[in-house]
Amino acid sequence: MGKIRFINEFAADRTFTYDERIALLRARKISQTEEKARAGGADEDDYGLIEQDEFRYTLKPNHPNGSIYGFKAWSENYCAILDRHPIYVDALDAFAAKGFFFLERLRPPGTKWNPDYAYPDLQAIFDRYQIISGIDNCHHFTPDLQIGFDRGWGGILAELKEERARHDESHHEFYDAEIAVVEHVIAFIRRAGEEILELSRIERNAQLAENLRTMGEIDLRIASEPPKTFREAVQWSCWFSMLSRTYNRGSAGGQLEDLFNPFYERDVAAGTLTDDEAVFYLACMFLQDSRYWQLSGPDANDEDRTCHLSYLALDAANRLNIATNLTIRVHDRIDRAFFRKSVELLFKNRQGWPRYSSDKALMEGFMRCGYPKELARRRVAAGCHWMCIPGMEYTMNDTVKINIAMVFEVAWNEMMSTEGERSAEALWKLYGKHLKIAVDATGRGVMHHLNYQTKSQPELILNLMQHGLVKKGVNITDGGANYYNICIDAAGIAVAADSFAAVEQRIDREGKLTFAELKRHMDANYEGVDGERVRQLMLHSERYGGGDSLGDRWAVRISRLWTGLVRDLVRQHAGDFRHVNFIPGLFSWSNTILLGSILKATPNGRKAGEPINHGANPNGGFRADGAVTAMCNSIAAVQPGYGNTAPVQLEVDPQIANDPEGIDKMCAMVMGIIKSGNTLLNINIIDARRILEAHKDPFRYPDLVVRVTGFTAFFAMLSPKFRQLVVDRVKSVNPEACR
Amino acid sequence: MKAFVTDVQRFSLNDGPGIRTTVFLQGCNMRCDWCHNPETIPVRPVEMFYKDRCIGCGKCAEGCTAAARTMSSREMTVEDVMFQVRQDKLYYDESGGGVTVSGGEPSLHADFVEALADACHAEGIKIAVETNMSLPWAQIDPMLRKMDLIMCDLKLNATVEHMKHTGLDNQSIFNSIGRASKLGIPMIVRTPLIPGVTDSEDNIKPIAEYIAKMDNIVRYELLNFNPLGGSKREALQERDAYDGVKPLPPESLDALKRALAGIRGLEIKVV
Repeated sequence: MGKIRFINEFAADRTFTYDERIALLRARKISQTEEKARAGGADEDDYGLIEQDEFRYTLKPNHPNGSIYGFKAWSENYCAILDRHPIYVDALDAFAAKGFFFLERLRPPGTKWNPDYAYPDLQAIFDRYQIISGIDNCHHFTPDLQIGFDRGWGGILAELKEERARHDESHHEFYDAEIAVVEHVIAFIRRAGEEILELSRIERNAQLAENLRTMGEIDLRIASEPPKTFREAVQWSCWFSMLSRTYNRGSAGGQLEDLFNPFYERDVAAGTLTDDEAVFYLACMFLQDSRYWQLSGPDANDEDRTCHLSYLALDAANRLNIATNLTIRVHDRIDRAFFRKSVELLFKNRQGWPRYSSDKALMEGFMRCGYPKELARRRVAAGCHWMCIPGMEYTMNDTVKINIAMVFEVAWNEMMSTEGERSAEALWKLYGKHLKIAVDATGRGVMHHLNYQTKSQPELILNLMQHGLVKKGVNITDGGANYYNICIDAAGIAVAADSFAAVEQRIDREGKLTFAELKRHMDANYEGVDGERVRQLMLHSERYGGGDSLGDRWAVRISRLWTGLVRDLVRQHAGDFRHVNFIPGLFSWSNTILLGSILKATPNGRKAGEPINHGANPNGGFRADGAVTAMCNSIAAVQPGYGNTAPVQLEVDPQIANDPEGIDKMCAMVMGIIKSGNTLLNINIIDARRILEAHKDPFRYPDLVVRVTGFTAFFAMLSPKFRQLVVDRVKSVNPEACR
Repeated sequence: MKAFVTDVQRFSLNDGPGIRTTVFLQGCNMRCDWCHNPETIPVRPVEMFYKDRCIGCGKCAEGCTAAARTMSSREMTVEDVMFQVRQDKLYYDESGGGVTVSGGEPSLHADFVEALADACHAEGIKIAVETNMSLPWAQIDPMLRKMDLIMCDLKLNATVEHMKHTGLDNQSIFNSIGRASKLGIPMIVRTPLIPGVTDSEDNIKPIAEYIAKMDNIVRYELLNFNPLGGSKREALQERDAYDGVKPLPPESLDALKRALAGIRGLEIKVV
C-alpha cells in the first residue's frame, strides 16, 4: 500500500530543476493511480486521494442505524479525524495537503438521509419515474476562497466567536460545531507545519530540506493567519481543498486569476517570485487535487481578463500533464493567442483538458432568471456541467435528475394499455402529463431537502466560505446562502426524442407497422429475426443529431416542455423564505448506465437495459458521417437557456489537428460550437487504437486520462462498464478507426 | 436542377481550407484503380451490399431496414443540398471554410455545380471543387469561374502511366490546369500517393516543378494513400486491387517533402 512520507529518497548533493521535480512528482502520481486502480478504482473524479493503510477511522454514530446526523455528530467525527489524520509529505512537492478519504462515505450504506425525515409518498413517484431527487446529497456549490484569503482561519474563528455571543441559543449548535471545526483545522495545519519542520531536519538533501523548511514555516503561519504570498495562497487553497474533501468531498476552485493574480503580481513586483516558481507551485496545486478552475473570460467591464498568470496556469498544467479540470471561459474578446495555446495543448497532451464554456450563453441565460449582469458574470465553472457564484449560491448542481426516457416509458405504457387514440401526438399529451408529475414531485423533493438537510448533513466546511453566512448563524440550506438556484437536469433526451420521431415517422407517416406490432416487438426486446428487422427500421429513423431532422424537432419540443415545467416550480414554491429559483439543465452525469439499466426496450430501437444517451448528446450513430457540427447544432437547439448547461460531449481523433492548419480548424470548431449557442464543451482527444488497447489492458497506459462526463479521470481507474461507455462514444464518431 | 449525390459529408476537414461540407456526386470519367470512392464511378446509382450489417431476414425484396443493401446515391435538388449546407454556415465563417463539390467528377454535372455555386454565393458561402480537369476546357470553364477555390488532381506525370492507371490521357489535364491558373482563382493541385504507382520522386517532382510556374497556386498537396476504398469495393462486390496496402509511413512522406524542398515558391502539404 502507498507510502505517505517521501523523505531521504535522493542523494544529499543532488539538485533538481523545477521540471525535474514535476516529472518525478508526475511519475509518483501515475504509480499511485495504478495502486488505486488495482485496489478497485472508481467511476468518478480523481480527487487527489492517496491510497494508504496507516490511518483508518471508525465512525462514532449518533443514531441506531450506525450513521451520523446533525451538527454535533458531524463536528465531533470530523474533529476526531483531524486530530489523528497523518500528514502526507513529499519533499519534492511545494505543498502538503493530501487527503485519504471522505467522512461522508464512512456512513453505512443507505443511511445518508436522517430517517426521522422520511418522504415515502415522494419516493414512490421518484421510483416510478426513476428520479434522482438530490435529497441527502451535499456540497454541490462553490466556496469563495477569497474569504479565507482575506481572514485566514484565525479571522474566521474570531468572527464565529463574536457572532455566537451576539446570537441567541437557537444558533449555538451551529456556532459550537463550526468553532470546534475551525479550532481543529488550525491545530491540524499547525501540527502539519511542526511535523514538516521536523522532517526538514531529517531530510539529507539540502535543496529538499530547504523546501520542507519553507513549507513547514508557511503552514505554521497560515494555520491561523491569512496568506500573504503567492506560495502561501496556493498552499492555503490546497489545505482548504483537502479539508473540504475529507469532510464531504466538496471542493471547487474558482476563477484562478481573481484568486491568485493579486498575490502573483505583488510577489513579482517585490522580486520574491519568478515565473518558474509560479508555474511549479501551480503544477503542484493541480497535482494535489483535480478540482475545477476557470481561466480567462471577461471581467466586470467586458474586458478580457486573461493575464500572464493565465498563461502560466496552462504552462503548469502542460508540464504536469495529468487529469486537470481547467475550463476556459470563451467570449468574443478573448485573448486569441491564449485561446489558441489552450487548443494546442488540448491536442498535444490528449488528456481532456481544458474544456470550454460560453460566457454569452451562460450569462444571458442566468440573467433571464432575473439576475443582474454583474452576478451572472461571477458564476464560474465549478463542476462537471455546472456553474456557481463562489460563496453566494446554494445550487444542488448535478445532483437532481429525472430520467425523461423513463417518463416516456410510463406514457407509452399508459397509451398502449388503454383504448384511446394511438399516435405520436396522443403519446405526447400523455408524456406532458407524466413529465409534469415527475417535475412537480422533484420540486417538492428539493424543498424537502432544503428543509431538513441540516438534520442530516450540515455543510460545516463550505459554510465558512459563504458571504454573510457566519453572521446569520445558520447552515447554508436554512437561509445561509444569498441565493438558491436549484439545478434540475433531464437525462435521456435523445432516447425520448428518437422514440417520438421513430413512432411518428414509421407508424404515423409511413404506416410501415402498427402500434400493436411495435409493442409486441418491444415487449419481446426486439428478439428474433422479425424483431431485429423492426428494430433496424426504428433505429434508422430520422434521429436527434441528424441536422434539422424529425428527431431534432422532437428534441426541441421536449426541451421546451421540460424548461417550462421546471421554471414553473419557481411559481409553485414562491412563498418559501429562501426565494428558491429552479434552473433546468440537460445532463446525465455518468448515470447513463444506471438510468438505462431498468429501462425496457424503447421505440428508437434501443434494447432493454442499454445505457441512455450521455448528457445532451445524441445517441451513437446519429448520422452516418458522425458530423460534429450537426451534433453540436442539435445540442445548441435544445439548450434550456436559464444559465445552466446542456453540455456537448465531444470525442475527437488527434489526427485531425496534427499541424498548425489543423489547430486553426479546431480553434474555429470550438469557437463555432460556443457561438452557436452552446453552453459548455467537454472534449476528449482520443486515439481510437490507443483507447481500444487500454480498454483491453488498462495498465498498459496508466497515464491515459479521459474526460468521462464533465470530469476527467485516469482511464485505468474506471470500471469496465465505464471504459466501455467512453469507447462507445469514440466509436460513434470515429467508426472507421475502431474497426 | 438535380443530380445523383452519393453523400453530403458535413464537418469535412480534408477537402480544402477550414471546416467544410463536401458534396459527393455520382459519376466519373476516370477509372483509377485505387479510387477510395469506387461507388461514385458509375454514372447511375448502383446497389451496394454491406454484409456485416445484414441481419439475414431474407426480406431484401421488401426493402432493407438495416442499411445493409443500399443504393450508392440518391437524386437531390440544389435546395436539398443547401438544406444540409446552410446548417454549418457559422462554422464556415469561423474557419474560412465552405462547400466542396467532389465526386465522382463534378464537371460531369457542371450545370448542377454552377447552380449550387450560385445558391451558396447567395447565402454568403464559399464553394470549391475537386476536379480531375480532364473534360474539355469549354465544358469546365464556366463551372470553374464560379468557384472560390479550385482543387485538381495531377496523379501521374507520365502520359502512358496515366492512361494505364486512370484510363485517360493527361495532356488535356496539364493544359486545363495551365488555363485555370489564369482565372485568378486560388488553386490547390494534388497528387494521391499510391504506393508503387504515384509515390516516387520521379513522378511528383516534375509535377511540382510544372505547377510551381503557374499563377494562383496556393500549394501542392500530397494525399497519403487512403485504404478505405476496400470496404466499399467489397460492398460493390468488386476486387480490391489494393487490398492490404498501407498508407506511406512518416519517413517516406518526409523523404518526398525533402525531395520537393528545393522548388522555389511552392508550398507543400502532406494530407
